[in-house]
Amino acid sequence: MYRETQVSNYVLAVLAALALVLLSLPLSAPVRAFKAAAVYLLHPAAFYGAKGEQRLAQVPPRLASLLRADLENVQLQAQLRETLWQKSELDGLRAENHRLAQALGLRTPSGHTPLWADVMERDPLHWYNSIMVTAGSDQGVTLNAPVFGDQDGTLVAIGRVAEVRPDASLVLLMTDELSSVAAYLSTSAVEGLIQGQGGPRLRMNYLPADVVLSTGDLVFTSPTSATFPGEILLGRVTAVNPHDPFLTFQSVEVRPAADAAALNHVMILLAAGPGRPAAAPAPPKAQKPPPSPEAR
Amino acid sequence: MSHLRGAVLFLAAALLQWWWSASLAVWGLTPQLLLVLTVALAARVGPTEGMCYGFLWGLFLDILRPDLLGGNALILLLAGYGTGALRRQIDVSDPVSHCAVVAMMTWAGFLLYGVLGAVFAEGFIWAGWPAFLLDPLYNCLLVPFAGMAAAWLRAR
Repeated sequence: MYRETQVSNYVLAVLAALALVLLSLPLSAPVRAFKAAAVYLLHPAAFYGAKGEQRLAQVPPRLASLLRADLENVQLQAQLRETLWQKSELDGLRAENHRLAQALGLRTPSGHTPLWADVMERDPLHWYNSIMVTAGSDQGVTLNAPVFGDQDGTLVAIGRVAEVRPDASLVLLMTDELSSVAAYLSTSAVEGLIQGQGGPRLRMNYLPADVVLSTGDLVFTSPTSATFPGEILLGRVTAVNPHDPFLTFQSVEVRPAADAAALNHVMILLAAGPGRPAAAPAPPKAQKPPPSPEAR
Repeated sequence: MSHLRGAVLFLAAALLQWWWSASLAVWGLTPQLLLVLTVALAARVGPTEGMCYGFLWGLFLDILRPDLLGGNALILLLAGYGTGALRRQIDVSDPVSHCAVVAMMTWAGFLLYGVLGAVFAEGFIWAGWPAFLLDPLYNCLLVPFAGMAAAWLRAR
């Protein structure tokens, strides 16, 4: 037992001295390299601990950057939505400007005052029959006033006022079955009566039986019309109906020059006279993009 | 044959300690298997063997730690020596007394390592209260297995 104690004391002294020497050694480059190699062999993940710690230290700035990017993304999306709305508004205004520029060049019949109005309503059940416009008796609109549309800078007859309210009017379209207007063909200069068919086409009846008719002829309002001034474009002949031997006249099919379903603004022609409210001579200024036809 | 067993025990214990620390740490706590084995060897085989094994195992632990080189070697060396000194007073091979010695050595080891850090490094190295309070209990759970390993090494 004594010998064991003595040996253990010696061992303690030697090893403790060795441990103290190791403890006293500065962690110089060779010692660090040796420890790093040993750690790498036993646990490579620990060897990369410093790099991992550096990467983790970069997490907060990256997270802040990510949050900033997210906020910026939200703001940009809002700006993009606003820009899209502005673009839509700009497109509408551009189209409006184009239409108004063309309308300014329209030649209105003398002795009349033009009044521009927006189309505010179309009845799906009476698509080819009537439209509602934003001008009424307060603006001087009267019953049977002729209504025109703009088709590529040309004034086109589309109907007449059939019902007048203080701030709106019902326009009976040329395509309605009850519509009719005296008209003449451009080439043969023969007159007939344009009548609506309740569909997209018109029919011109009462054309002389001995006249040779051809497709493509332009149809204008006749000066004898009680409602419309003369020389207003109505449409173009698309087909000549076969001659009926039991009838004393011919008829042709006419395609209207203006599609009333595509019009957003119309011009109502007011007869100038005493006691009539002054109508705005210029087209209405657009304050908003034109609503889509479906919204009406 | 005894030397072969010693080498096997040394390597197996070192690798087991490393693997446990790297893969099975619970809330950052790992048992100090090498300390328990050092105490067990010093109690059952002899203080000299315990001190030698403890010193080498301590060097192994020091290699794995970045701060002190030789700190764990000195602690396990003193643990083996202290256990040998106690062995002359009490029966430290008994499981209960073995656990008591392990717990005492664990606390002493924590404190001594901190002091060594204060002397040889930048400051007192504190393992933290969870490790300081729970590691002795954790180590005591390994006492039976350490006793079996020491008995296996001692067997001729």
